[in-house]
Amino acid sequence: MQKEPAAVVLDGASRTFGDLEALRDVSLRVETGSILGVIGPSGAGKTTAIRLMTGGLAPTAGTVHVLGEDPRHLRRRTREKIGYLPQQFTLYPYLTARENVGFVASIYGLLWFRHGRRVREALKLVELWTVRNRLAARMSGGMLRRLELAAALVHDPALLLLDEPTAGLDPILRASIWTELHRLRDAGRTLIVTTQYVNEAEECDEVALISGGRLVALATPEELRRQALGGQAIEVETEEAFDAAELEGQPGVLRVIQTTPHTFQAVVEDAGIATPDVVEAITARGATVKSAREWVPSFDDAFTTLVERQAADVSNEQEEAA
Amino acid sequence: MRVVTRGFASVLAFVAKELLEVIRSPAALVSLTLGPVLIMVLFGAGFNGYSPALRTVIVIPPDSGLSTDVSEYADAVIGIDVVDVVPDRGPAEERLRLREIDAVIVAPASMQDRFLAGEQSVVDVMINVSDPIASVNAAYVVKTLSAELNRRILEEVARHGIAEAVKAGSPDAWDIPPEVIAAPTRADLKNVAPTEPAVVSYYGAAILAFILQHIAVSLIALSLVRERTRGSFELFRFAPVSAAEVLVGKVIACVLITGVVAVAVTLLLVRVLGVPLLGDPVQLGLTLALVSAASLGLGVVIAVFSDTERQVVQMALLVLLASVFFSGLFLNLDLFRPLARPFMYLLPATHGIALTQDLMLYGWTSAPWHFAALGVMAVVLLVGGSALLRRQLERA
Repeated sequence: MQKEPAAVVLDGASRTFGDLEALRDVSLRVETGSILGVIGPSGAGKTTAIRLMTGGLAPTAGTVHVLGEDPRHLRRRTREKIGYLPQQFTLYPYLTARENVGFVASIYGLLWFRHGRRVREALKLVELWTVRNRLAARMSGGMLRRLELAAALVHDPALLLLDEPTAGLDPILRASIWTELHRLRDAGRTLIVTTQYVNEAEECDEVALISGGRLVALATPEELRRQALGGQAIEVETEEAFDAAELEGQPGVLRVIQTTPHTFQAVVEDAGIATPDVVEAITARGATVKSAREWVPSFDDAFTTLVERQAADVSNEQEEAA
Repeated sequence: MRVVTRGFASVLAFVAKELLEVIRSPAALVSLTLGPVLIMVLFGAGFNGYSPALRTVIVIPPDSGLSTDVSEYADAVIGIDVVDVVPDRGPAEERLRLREIDAVIVAPASMQDRFLAGEQSVVDVMINVSDPIASVNAAYVVKTLSAELNRRILEEVARHGIAEAVKAGSPDAWDIPPEVIAAPTRADLKNVAPTEPAVVSYYGAAILAFILQHIAVSLIALSLVRERTRGSFELFRFAPVSAAEVLVGKVIACVLITGVVAVAVTLLLVRVLGVPLLGDPVQLGLTLALVSAASLGLGVVIAVFSDTERQVVQMALLVLLASVFFSGLFLNLDLFRPLARPFMYLLPATHGIALTQDLMLYGWTSAPWHFAALGVMAVVLLVGGSALLRRQLERA
């Protein structure tokens, strides 16, 4: 079976604003039917990346292709296949929820019966159907975000570019939105999602970590954690005080981090293979292992580690250049 | 076919959205429909169109031989309201300085004796006004006053001459009355215009085009700038909708809104304020539609060059101000030097006012080229505005 072409391809894409390098040499492919999470600190270049994909900005170097076309010159039929949720509220305060979504449905070419059905489905999806006749001006921030999401989804697009779709939503609603995004992905849709909630990276098939305009990492969530640690980690607790430095040089152990006299973390290449060896090495040194289990760092930790590492690399590069 | 259908759906979506936004915004409704109507009512009820008469004191020296009775001068000259007759000019001039009165007229001493002696008398007239129009008006009144005094003197002299001639044995002299000798001709004004000149009719017809221009410019410029500042342009740029569809949808909605306002104001003018509508209502409708279209084009251009709603309001007010002075609303275009006139004809209201006044008050227009001018303006501004808007959408 022939593999479907990538939905979005950035090849060495850069964008500068005067002297400011907002995005530098970013290359990535987003496969059809997957979710790419774009995460990074505030001002990292996430929205610039999205705007390169929408064609709102032209790259100053490199190329961008969306559904096989230059996003600056998309054909009408191609546009109809793309949904876009901007970061700020762009709908109309003096229209009701149904009128707002209906307006977007109309400009995306939905007519007659399909128009009404899709508006209803989109509003039900974001749990706004019961308030469909309420003016947007009288909705809370969270409701407005859901309304925008309904507008982005109403024409059932093949590719969805969502700039912080869960911003301002409570955890329960965020979970329901992600459930829906997964359902869309499973139905063959491609989604590119920026988020300020780092832990939402786990919801994505692949994560692009952008910091300082550079693509720091592009990997699955699992691989991202691995990149942050430099391997996998085992968290060990011993009955007696144990100096973890004794394990350095042990085959399979990359490094150790002593957290308390009785606990430490050992970074290994493969936790499944290395755990029995580590336990044996501790026992051989006269200590008793109370517990030893794989330690999975939070995405916050992984994110912080990778961003700090990238900042240090940039600093070193600059020093070398100077 | 599919593209046409979907394009049509997009245009309709914009029309419906614009209309709903206007209907849902009470402040916009009031300012757009009730505002012009209230302005018309206030204008019709409050404006009389006549300059106030100059409050005048006449100084009549004791030896002048003229009457000192105020009532005798009451209706002597139109534009002068004689409030007092005094013998000395000093107190009268002081009242003038204090602006208790507007003019002092000093009758010459021994006027008839000087005339019989073959000398010209001078009537001193002093005014204290800073308003240039009132000043011009005063000069006209002074000339009229001088002519009236001359006529009275001539009449008196003629009466005296006839009496002398009769005494000398010339009975035929009775056949020519002294007032005919003093004023052998008099003008009899006849206005052949199909309607009586009336302030409300004349200015009401003009204000119709004037208001329409302001509403159309503000409506579309604010709508477009609001979309841009809200970020909707980014959505439109990415959506399968063209700049032309965005603009056509908005223009149709604005034409419908200005159409409702135009009908409401016209009905008010004709039915309530009694402004005549002698011309073809279809031609009047065409005029108002062309004024709206040209003004909408102007509004699009303003929107393209404005970054914020505040800038739009400022620019719309500038257009309004220019229209007050240069559209012929209050100052006739002939009052301006020919070099300034091309600028005046850049305003849709200038053509609109000329046409609405002609069609409503005369029933026809002697300058049908105004239709063509409005049409050209509408096409140029809307097509140019659309091109500029497309560039903005591409950059959104």
